[in-house]
Amino acid sequence: MIEVQNVTKRYGQHVAVDNVSFTVNDGEILGFLGPNGAGKSTTMNIITGYISATEGTVKIDGIDILDQPEEAKKRIGYLPEFPPLYMDMTVSEYLDFVCDIRKVSSAERKQSLERIMDIVKIDDVKGRLIKNLSKGYKQRVGVAQAMIGNPQVLVLDEPTVGLDPRQIIEMRDLIKKLGKSHTIILSSHILPEVSAVCDRIIIINKGKIVAAGTPANLSKHLGGGRLSLRVAAPEKQVMAALEQVPGVARVEPRGTFEPGTIDIVVDPDEEVDIRRPVFNALSHADCPILMMRPLDLSLEEIFMQVTTQESEVS
Amino acid sequence: MIGVYKKELKAYFSTPTGYVFMGFFLLIAGFFFAISNLFPMVANYNAMLSNLTFIFLIVVPILTMRLMAEEMRQKTDVLLLTSPLSVNEMVLGKYFAAVTVFLITLLITCLYPLMMSFFGDIAVWEIIGGYVGFFLLGSTFIAVGLFISSLTDNQVIAAVVTFSVLLLLWVMDALQSVVPTDIISGVVFASALVAAVAIWLYSATRNIYVSLVTAIAGGAAIAGVYIANKDIYTGFIGKALAWFSVLNRYNEFSLGILSLSPIVYYITFSAVFVFLTIRNIEKKRWS
Ligand SMILES: Nc1ncnc2c1ncn2[C@@H]1O[C@H](COP(=O)(O)OP(=O)(O)O)[C@@H](O)[C@H]1O
Ligand SMILES: [Mg+2]
Repeated sequence: MIEVQNVTKRYGQHVAVDNVSFTVNDGEILGFLGPNGAGKSTTMNIITGYISATEGTVKIDGIDILDQPEEAKKRIGYLPEFPPLYMDMTVSEYLDFVCDIRKVSSAERKQSLERIMDIVKIDDVKGRLIKNLSKGYKQRVGVAQAMIGNPQVLVLDEPTVGLDPRQIIEMRDLIKKLGKSHTIILSSHILPEVSAVCDRIIIINKGKIVAAGTPANLSKHLGGGRLSLRVAAPEKQVMAALEQVPGVARVEPRGTFEPGTIDIVVDPDEEVDIRRPVFNALSHADCPILMMRPLDLSLEEIFMQVTTQESEVS
Repeated sequence: MIGVYKKELKAYFSTPTGYVFMGFFLLIAGFFFAISNLFPMVANYNAMLSNLTFIFLIVVPILTMRLMAEEMRQKTDVLLLTSPLSVNEMVLGKYFAAVTVFLITLLITCLYPLMMSFFGDIAVWEIIGGYVGFFLLGSTFIAVGLFISSLTDNQVIAAVVTFSVLLLLWVMDALQSVVPTDIISGVVFASALVAAVAIWLYSATRNIYVSLVTAIAGGAAIAGVYIANKDIYTGFIGKALAWFSVLNRYNEFSLGILSLSPIVYYITFSAVFVFLTIRNIEKKRWS
């Protein structure tokens, strides 16, 4: 279990992380979501003991990272934003070195390395120089490095950044697989990314936690039921028809993207499914619906929402 | 520590650094040996070693510039600092790796006196003394270079600064004869030293009281000594420089005298810079 309590990090006047507290339970995959500069990496650097917090404490299984760094660090594997790879080493040499510094006994080394290389699928490149590997392989070597010494906790900072779509899917699958036997903290600035793999999400902005919850909870509370429509009728007529529909909270025209049509975003009252009434109303008003889809909230929109509502979702 | 030590040692020889260091060192040493011992058939090997010490100005930066700077540039320091390894182990591993490369190179140069022994008797103990001094002097400079490498993530800057600092240590000797020797400048110099220590303390601890107390205590000591025996300040700057001068101590070794005090001096000097390196890395994580 990871307990982060009232952690603040100041760089001079600038507050990078502002009084952040949360816990991660054993076996959980926690997503840390926020735009660039939100303080994700800083928080992770503090959790892993790379830098110290200005205030607050971090405990891994009850062990304080500053009081007993060696004990605590044995329990954490860390893949930082920039994978810490030695370009002039081969993959085997590198992993061997990590075994050295993580004090893996030579008796269990061979077997443990084989297991790890099998899981992250880097067996076929183990003799290659790291600088000659593709970005996807480098990232996997980074994950392998974090797994050495069998730490219970894995901290992965933007593990899919810079990967191509196929590599992203492979990395997600790998993280899900690792999640079965590890406690994982994972950061990202892409919402679908974390909602795909995480049990729980913490949204952080300007160093503060602005929302937290399961992916389902978050999207229900923050974006659930929002619809985007394309209708082949004049704006006035559509607006008038939609405003009559019970359960519709707000109607917002978004302009014309196709000749003779209008795009509209409809917000329902909380937890009301308005798709049928909207269809019926527009059909009655003789406004053909060319497209209707639930609006996936982009991270920016969630931010707009959580930062303006200041709501705590749990 | 062994892990980092092995890694650094390997890194010296999987990159050109180790070869450049060794090649350059052996080339210059061989050249010096040839022109001062071999061709003129002069047996004074230690004089040659003593002349050779200037080589540290050039080869030590080559050896040390990478040590910490490259870890920071490649951001691999994260790996080391989030492993169960302590900062002490990491820095010592690096230091000993650099010293080892230097030692290996030095052992190769033992061939030169061996060659001389074919032509006639050599003063074995004197030469061993010279080597011990040469080794200690080099190890001290390596500690200085290691520290400077931890101040930047740019190898070139690390190399240039290391060169400049070693050069400064070098000319300190020459400086002794030109600095003022009167009592007043001695007092001013001592006060400046105390002020520097107080400022350094403040920047390291951010505690104004500690540094104020240090400054006041230092000032009182200077005043006290002045009242008790102001002649101590005559030539004080020169004496201070002489004490600090790394090169001065080398002369004894050069004469083949192995005494404890310069050995302790060099080891202490190295230890201080290794310690400063550790402190500097720790401090960066706390700021
Ligand atoms: N070493 C540093 N010195 C000064 N400011 C920093 C430092 N590291 C990070 N910051 C600042 O802290 C904030 C959070 O950065 P970071 O944790 O890297 O964000 P994220 O990982 O979410 O993109 C940013 O505004 C960044 O500029
Ligand atoms: Mg980041």
